Amino acid sequence: MANQVIELDDNGVETGKTGIESAMSYHELNAMINLWDKDGKMQLAKDKLAVRKYFLDHVNQNTVFFHSLKERLDYLVENEYYEKEILDQYRFEFIEELEKLAYSKKFRFDAFMGAYKFYTGYALKTFDGERYLERFEDRVVMVALALAEGKEDIAISMVEEIISGRFQPATPTFLNCGKKQRGEFVSCFLLRIEDNMESISRAINSALQLSKRGGGVALNLSNVREYGAPIKKIEGQSSGIIPVMKLLEDSFSYANQLGARQGAGAVYLNAHHPDILRFLDTKRENADEKTRIKTLSIGVVVPDITMHLAKDNEDMYLFSPYDVEKVYGVPFGDISVTEKYQEMVDDPRIKKQKIKARTLFERIAELQFESGYPYIMYEDTVNKANPIQGRINMSNLCSEILQVNTPTTYNADLSYDQIGKDISCNLGSLNIAMAMDGPDLAKTIETSIRALTSVSDQSDIVSVRSISDGNHKSHAIGLGQMNLHGYLAREHIHYGSEEALDFTNIYFYTVVFNAIQASNKIAIERGSTFGNFENSTYASGEYFEKYVTQVWEPKTEKVKELFAKSGARIPTQADWKKLKTSVMAHGIYNQNLQAVPPTGSISYINNSTSSIHPIASRIEIRKEGKLGRVYYPAPFLSEDTWDYYEDAYDLGPDKTIETYAVATQHVDQGLSLTLFFKDTATTRDVNRAQINAWRKGIKTIYYIRIRQQALLGTEVDSCVSCML
Amino acid sequence: MEKIKLVSRPVNWNKIEDPIDMDVWNRLTSNFWLPEKVPISNDIQSWETLKPHEKTLTMHVFTGLTMLDTIQGTIGAAALLPDARTPHEEAVITNIAFMESVHAKSYSSVFSTLCSTADIDEAFRWSEDNPHLQKKAEIILGYYNGDDPLKRKVASTLLESFLFYSGFYLPMYWSSRAKLTNTADLIRLIIRDEAIHGYYIGYKYQLALAEESEARQAEMKSYTYDLLLELYDNEIKYTADLYDGMGLTEDVKKFLRYNGNKALMNLGYDPLFPKDECDVNPAILAALSPNADENHDFFSGSGSSYVIGKHESTTDDDWDF
Repeated sequence: MANQVIELDDNGVETGKTGIESAMSYHELNAMINLWDKDGKMQLAKDKLAVRKYFLDHVNQNTVFFHSLKERLDYLVENEYYEKEILDQYRFEFIEELEKLAYSKKFRFDAFMGAYKFYTGYALKTFDGERYLERFEDRVVMVALALAEGKEDIAISMVEEIISGRFQPATPTFLNCGKKQRGEFVSCFLLRIEDNMESISRAINSALQLSKRGGGVALNLSNVREYGAPIKKIEGQSSGIIPVMKLLEDSFSYANQLGARQGAGAVYLNAHHPDILRFLDTKRENADEKTRIKTLSIGVVVPDITMHLAKDNEDMYLFSPYDVEKVYGVPFGDISVTEKYQEMVDDPRIKKQKIKARTLFERIAELQFESGYPYIMYEDTVNKANPIQGRINMSNLCSEILQVNTPTTYNADLSYDQIGKDISCNLGSLNIAMAMDGPDLAKTIETSIRALTSVSDQSDIVSVRSISDGNHKSHAIGLGQMNLHGYLAREHIHYGSEEALDFTNIYFYTVVFNAIQASNKIAIERGSTFGNFENSTYASGEYFEKYVTQVWEPKTEKVKELFAKSGARIPTQADWKKLKTSVMAHGIYNQNLQAVPPTGSISYINNSTSSIHPIASRIEIRKEGKLGRVYYPAPFLSEDTWDYYEDAYDLGPDKTIETYAVATQHVDQGLSLTLFFKDTATTRDVNRAQINAWRKGIKTIYYIRIRQQALLGTEVDSCVSCML
Repeated sequence: MEKIKLVSRPVNWNKIEDPIDMDVWNRLTSNFWLPEKVPISNDIQSWETLKPHEKTLTMHVFTGLTMLDTIQGTIGAAALLPDARTPHEEAVITNIAFMESVHAKSYSSVFSTLCSTADIDEAFRWSEDNPHLQKKAEIILGYYNGDDPLKRKVASTLLESFLFYSGFYLPMYWSSRAKLTNTADLIRLIIRDEAIHGYYIGYKYQLALAEESEARQAEMKSYTYDLLLELYDNEIKYTADLYDGMGLTEDVKKFLRYNGNKALMNLGYDPLFPKDECDVNPAILAALSPNADENHDFFSGSGSSYVIGKHESTTDDDWDF
């Protein structure tokens, strides 16, 4: 497709005759929002022109025209673009009405970035990649038809929620629904690796299979024996985890998703694994090519004990997973290091090494400066907040999925002995501003939960049995949120202020209630719950403790007003008591309900700020493989909202952490939390933010981003992002 | 100006004569990078979508850049060493020289990742045969080998802030069209360095010039403008050789004038080209920003924004919980 873009562009430049602007390509118009005009004013209107130009010069000219919907659908089914089975669930007249409904909403892309991203990445194209077969409205209808599974009323609500921008399914769902040639609907997979060759090779095979199908894959390396550990009792044989990482990295770069994007993977390692420093050094700027890991993401699992050892400035012991598994009979990753620490230190059968605990944290911070990695998962915080029986020992590529898993064992011929439970999760996010604009937040949430549940029901990853088994048992989903900063700015609230925290708290409080209620409704309708519901804190009622004993209300006038204006009902203690009784009686259908992803692409399409982060910049420069450099103005940006759009670097990490902390208490899984620092920060500032985050009950930390300002005298003239 | 002899003076970084030395040193070291950081191989797919003449152009541009960086790394920066005003400046210049060699090597890593050996050899042959590229090298080398330290600095600044940019245009152009975006990241890292190099050498030139007589100052001024124009004339021909096939020559020329003015500013002079002749294509200008403020997608590239962190240990107070 991108080829097409260039040719048209150049044509546009050469043939345009009426004035400078019509001669400018949409890329140039878009780039102008990053430059001040002659009078030193923002040129936001140029972005709207870029959108128009993009449609006139490119989209409209390259869209296949059909005389009627009938002709279009017949053509698309016959030529194997659309899946016939999905359309066959509905009357043709209904589909026609649904299309009409979608088009009646007069959807327009607010930002060039959104339009460009949609047509480059999501819209159905002819097999030669040259022409478009869908508009935004058509995509929304197809997604709704696929997810409503034949139920007309639900299809209508889904179109309403998606086209209005209130609910946005995650990329794999939004991209693939209804297409005949497609990847999976599920975004995200998490796999265990056990300490044997069968499990390692199966993991590599699964990594290939899953990334071919469109997912990001995270793997847990904590169980794998360390460098120099014995193999068949012969000492010094194992080469540790680095070669496994290399194999995985190569697998991911080989299996790209129909060329759509690079396969992406992450690996997690417990901080007390003996290879931990080698693991971190793979991201060093000057690492040897043999050990350097470029495209694989890494994350460290940090138990509470590590924090306490660092506090006391003590040594921390690293334990051989090989010995630990021999002594305890369970893999290292399934042991609470905090609980067993002293016991393992005292046990002479377990080989160990020691490093200074603070050195580990300093090393982590150094690498975060150089590479943004590693992610951090605070293991004990995560497990304390986990309502489900079992242990969480890893997270995923975006550090928001937190679910329990169990090991798989293999026979000598590599067939399955016992199929364990691995994790998949499908996501979708609410646009907080649009959801608050209503008309009915509760209905928006219920429809979203149903849409995500439908994705889980329709998913069947047969190539990785532990994933499909896990999904069939858990029906886990992750409802996310985005555009928090956009909403706050529009309502003239500063990010991280008392009012902002008050709003975030009550909003998430309202979401969790409605999400559980929706899942409870589904359980009642189907007479079925997720597997092992009976051993969860939902079943025991313990989960509801804080909601039925405390009163949760807005503290500030402003937030009271916002909810009154929205019409969104804030659940009362009585509502919670009723819900608790119903859940304990009938259960809930989804093992997991919420997870707040970083929302990259979909927040551009949806004209949102990412996730619940503060904005990175008022005019964001976005660079991606498929897009090149595109400029994205914060939604609702104007002279009026300018001051409320303080960026993440100026705000500093503490306000972001506070915001996430109030949200975290209402979210069963995790929230991707990126921390932003100016380049004046030192490793100590990063460490302090990590300590602060842990104290405030943050579950995971995603990337660390560093912004470097141009040295005085080397800036680009009249560049908006240089002068801010 | 008396000649500063190359006597052995230990560098005492606790006694800074010129704070700019320290600033620039800190910036350059925290900007340190190696080409292996950037996953150029992610561009292979994109490279294959380029048409043959686009590939050829890209390779020619890169051989041209390689040549300039080779000169600057092996001869240029080294030639500035004897003129250093402070021992710290010597340290900064050796850093500059080293990074120029890193740049030259990184073009090679782009080549070896994307192209075949035969294509690479052809491109290098082209660079040896192109009269304008050779002339450019000749002019600059002439001044490096000459014995006027001020002229050396002018030549060096024009090289860093002006001559590279006919080449830099292309990767910026590609990246704004979603092509070779990782290569563009690498080039942006180079631009980030060159911006500082040009600024620093220009700054040292201004210091040295201020100590000169008025007549000498006037001489240097007209010399600078003359040299810029001489280089500009040659650069236009070089640009036409490269970009005529793509119809981009006029656009690149605006970019050259824009950077010519930048180079003059670095040397403390007024711009030469009128502003409306320098209205660079906004997509290119915006892509140039040396600030590391882009929000890249970690999964498709490493971005050009990471720096080596400043290490500072935590204290007991930090762990007070």
